[in-house]
Amino acid sequence: MKKNPYKVLGIKAGASYDEIKRAYRELAKKYHPDRYRNNPLADLAEEKMREINEAYEYLMKNAGASYQYQGGYEQSYDNSGAYQGQYQSQQQSSYQSEYKTRYKYEEEADWESRVRTYINSGNLNEAQRILDRVTTRNAAWYYLQGLVFLRRGWFDRGFSNIQKAVNMDPSNFEYRNALNNLNQQNTGYRQNYYYRNTYHSSPDMCNLCLNLWCADTCCECMGGDLISCC
Amino acid sequence: MFGYVEPDKPELKIWEFDVFRGYYCGLCRAIKKRYGQIPRLTLNYDMAFLYVLLDSLSPDPVTGKMQRCFVHPTKKRYIIAPNIYAEYTADMNIILMYYNLIDKWKDEKNFPAGTGALVLKKAYKKSRKLYPEKCEAIETHLKRLAELEANNCDSIDEAAEPFALIMRELFECGHIKDEAERKTLGWLGYNLGRWIYIIDAYDDIEKDYSRKAYNPLISQYSFDGNDIKGFKETIKEKADFILTYSLSEAEKAYSLLTIEKNKGILDNILYSGLIARTDRVLGERGRSNEKESV
Repeated sequence: MKKNPYKVLGIKAGASYDEIKRAYRELAKKYHPDRYRNNPLADLAEEKMREINEAYEYLMKNAGASYQYQGGYEQSYDNSGAYQGQYQSQQQSSYQSEYKTRYKYEEEADWESRVRTYINSGNLNEAQRILDRVTTRNAAWYYLQGLVFLRRGWFDRGFSNIQKAVNMDPSNFEYRNALNNLNQQNTGYRQNYYYRNTYHSSPDMCNLCLNLWCADTCCECMGGDLISCC
Repeated sequence: MFGYVEPDKPELKIWEFDVFRGYYCGLCRAIKKRYGQIPRLTLNYDMAFLYVLLDSLSPDPVTGKMQRCFVHPTKKRYIIAPNIYAEYTADMNIILMYYNLIDKWKDEKNFPAGTGALVLKKAYKKSRKLYPEKCEAIETHLKRLAELEANNCDSIDEAAEPFALIMRELFECGHIKDEAERKTLGWLGYNLGRWIYIIDAYDDIEKDYSRKAYNPLISQYSFDGNDIKGFKETIKEKADFILTYSLSEAEKAYSLLTIEKNKGILDNILYSGLIARTDRVLGERGRSNEKESV
């Protein structure tokens, strides 16, 4: 193992099983492939995920020895193992389904599979070139065009193209899934923000601090000082 | 256009704010040392953020001391000793501000801007020599931006692209040797640039309309000329989506970086400061816990 597993998980050396598990879950959520779908940095996130998995496995096996005697931990080890297994199987199944859909498209229309390959390898110009030459613009066309826009960072057009694909073919699970994913990214980011703020301080405490700060500033304006440290 | 990136001050610890300001002062000093007193005036928080971000990727400890400064003579302040990242950011600041002033002078015949550009010209030439490729790339993007504006471009994505690419150019700092890290910084910069451009466009809707200036949002959502406030209200949800999505992408890039220090400050900006600023511009103060960033 190249990196210090504790550092990878962002915890102190000698952290308890619970701490390791909590850190792992948090990071696994953060670098989950679902979050990095349609993101040009998806490969880096995958690498990070692998690192985290390795670090977690390593710690669960090796840090275990010193905790064996304390009892009760063995059970939590089992639980965590199950959790990880679950994550891996999820990942595998999503790969499998992706493979299947890709295979299906190869049979259906050649340009679709080619565009998909180019998008996956990050060659957006080539994908766009093929899309531009396609004359029949069906739901799949709008969906793939949407994906290309998303990868480029053109989220407004990306969103409207995928929306159009869903409207044209509402029964397609893949398109609907992509649209939901887009909306989720936003609420996810916002939730994080609201969570942080309420977590750190209740609204009342916040007001109190703000009022104190205001009073301090007013005093400073007049030449005095209410709170000397700021 | 500048100064939208800021920390959510009430959520910041006092020492963290001191360190952040220390970086800002350090950057200001770096500009003075390289270019003299007057170019110091062009510094803004966006650049301070870039400096903190780049410096936080290296594990070297922060060195600084309490010093008195010409701009704030009354109190001693914590000032971070400038390093290569400070120099890089200082150079980029000069380049960007020079172009910005030139642009204002050409567009609006804004006299102070014209004078400013003249004053900055010497500093600009010096920094251009250091980064000729970056300058050329930025010039290409600016030319493209001028074209889009002249053609009254009606796609917010297309209009935001040149500025986003400029920011990507800035964030892809040559001192960062790891290629994956540079790419990640580039995507962060791209999305942050997009956010800055769009939030500025939304903020300026009324002003641009009354001055008959180009505004990508007015063009994209084809304003009918009746009620500009009502128009702003109707596109609010759309703007909110694009802005928040850009931020969430910037955050994804950020979470892939290995931050060695100043995590509290950077987290604060990425997770709180930017979204609080978005809410403030969109006029949704009530939603953000009835708390204003001070």
